[in-house]
Amino acid sequence: MVLALGNDLLCDDGVGFAVVRRLRPSFSEAEVEFVESGESGLALLELIVGYEAVVIVDALVSGVRPAGSVIVMDSSEFCRVIAPSAHYAGLAEVMDLGHRLGLPMPSRITVVGIEVEDPYSFSPSLTPAVAAAVESAAQVVVSLLPLEPR
Amino acid sequence: METTNRKHVTIDPITRLEGHGKIDIFLDDQGEVERAYFQIPELRGFEIFSLGRPAEDMPQITSRICGVCPTAHHMASTKALDSLFHVVPPRPAKLIRELVYNTFMLEDHALHVYVLGGPDFIVGPDAPADQRNIFGVIGKVGVEVGLKVISTRRRLRGLISHLGGKVIHPVLGLPGGVSKRLMPEELPEFRQIAKDAVEFAQFTLQVFKDIVLANPEYVDMIRSDAYTHKTYYMGLVDEKNRPNFYEGKLRVVDPTGKEFAKFVEGDYLDHIAERVEPWSYVKFCYLKKVGWKGFKGGIDDGIYSVAPLARLNVAEGMSTPLAQAAYEEYIATLGPKPIHHTLANHWARVVEMLNAAERMVELLDDPDIVSDDIRLIPTATPDKGVGVVEAPRGTLIHHFETDEKGLCTKVNLIVATQNNAARMAMSVESAAKSLIHGGVVNDGLLNKIEMAFRAYDPCNACATHSLPGQMPLIVRVMDRKGEVVRELRR
Repeated sequence: MVLALGNDLLCDDGVGFAVVRRLRPSFSEAEVEFVESGESGLALLELIVGYEAVVIVDALVSGVRPAGSVIVMDSSEFCRVIAPSAHYAGLAEVMDLGHRLGLPMPSRITVVGIEVEDPYSFSPSLTPAVAAAVESAAQVVVSLLPLEPR
Repeated sequence: METTNRKHVTIDPITRLEGHGKIDIFLDDQGEVERAYFQIPELRGFEIFSLGRPAEDMPQITSRICGVCPTAHHMASTKALDSLFHVVPPRPAKLIRELVYNTFMLEDHALHVYVLGGPDFIVGPDAPADQRNIFGVIGKVGVEVGLKVISTRRRLRGLISHLGGKVIHPVLGLPGGVSKRLMPEELPEFRQIAKDAVEFAQFTLQVFKDIVLANPEYVDMIRSDAYTHKTYYMGLVDEKNRPNFYEGKLRVVDPTGKEFAKFVEGDYLDHIAERVEPWSYVKFCYLKKVGWKGFKGGIDDGIYSVAPLARLNVAEGMSTPLAQAAYEEYIATLGPKPIHHTLANHWARVVEMLNAAERMVELLDDPDIVSDDIRLIPTATPDKGVGVVEAPRGTLIHHFETDEKGLCTKVNLIVATQNNAARMAMSVESAAKSLIHGGVVNDGLLNKIEMAFRAYDPCNACATHSLPGQMPLIVRVMDRKGEVVRELRR
């Protein structure tokens, strides 16, 4: 599953959605599921449980990288990352909770983060630098999938 | 912690709440609490964003305001569209909406009881912060209960998704009806979910009784002055003055429990006014006909409260038998009504879980729910519409005005947390005053202040960064000039 987190009405917070919308037509639904969600925490657990591998695409606010930078993180890094986005801090907990409950958790979770400029204003559009990064982020996601686009 | 000079303590964000939350506490020269307040997000940007957009898009747009209660916004907007387009949905459509809505109330309340607010009680208010979370809850009640919560929520959310599309972006509600009917062959599965939901709610009530009510210290804390305010209460009720989450009239009772007002949703502006205090951008709602007296509480102050405690205070009973029995026990233990203890919200929430689950069963037993008569196409010219529902966190009001083409010219939303804002400020301040002395602020004290806040289950979320997890707790101590004297992180 490729899971986009964010809110497409909050300017750059919608970048994950833009990436999965760009990729969805290139894959059959049976092979890769593209999901958009604004949820986190327990709902996130409910979303990812049962999947073999999950790629999460999300907006990042580190403030130290230029807007539009794309980075890839493995789930093993989450505990060491000091909340670049609230979603990840939740993810480490969610994984822990899932394992403790003995739920079938994905064996691999990778996060593709896109550094954003404005995830706070009400707007359905991305800022130019972030919009320009959608294509490269999409290519990064494709490189993480075990399949080629059709 | 510094003990001299006036200080400004900031708790930001509140752990485990969905979304941003920030509490500011000002200390005086003696290190005593001078004033405490909190901030909630500003929806004005959203209201401006909506202007000029087609009103029929509002159920989709408003459901994105919040990653926590999209169904509540979706339903309030849908009802506002019925009113805007002057159309009454056919009965089967109303039943389907109500089914989805009660299912949502139940799953959302379950999240709060077990994950967001419950840990304060289930794990214990004095337990270390790193244990007051879902892991602590599971440690106390067992892994099988954790699995039960997850699987029940999953099935409930499955029902919502089946009828409404994705939980996070529902597409169920249309002016005059719903987009999808319920097929007769789907009934057995849904009835089983509803039946299991009733058992789950009963089980939750038992957990609450065993862990919370069996502990006299917890019950004393619920009753304690630090968590008690005598205010007005408001909530939607049916014709017999029983809570209804989806529809009814707004009933207001005064601090003695006497009915003060009862009105239809379109008249809300005659009763509710908003005020901005100079020290905060939060708009505080109050009862217009009583007036604003500045966080005093009591019968002369127009501050009112919404959410489970308020709903049970405006009620004269519950509409379903198990909820009625639970309500009677609640009143017998904490009453007489109205119950003014903020922390009683948690118990009231469990009573409402039973009510929502039982209502699901009733709705699925209604033969009309499988009818294909689910939409009445509007033909009137739109002008003004108001829709109200009881969100898990309290009364939610959507008000749209449009031009004759149905493009929004005015959008006003009053969310539950705004309705509760003034009383929440009172709660935070009174908890802070009783728990912080001589400038001493430690983790346990701060958590008790937060407990007052969390009992309301305030939703500070817009969908971004909504995290019921362990965001770092930041405490900033500032001097008179607003300079940070010290910063603490949990």
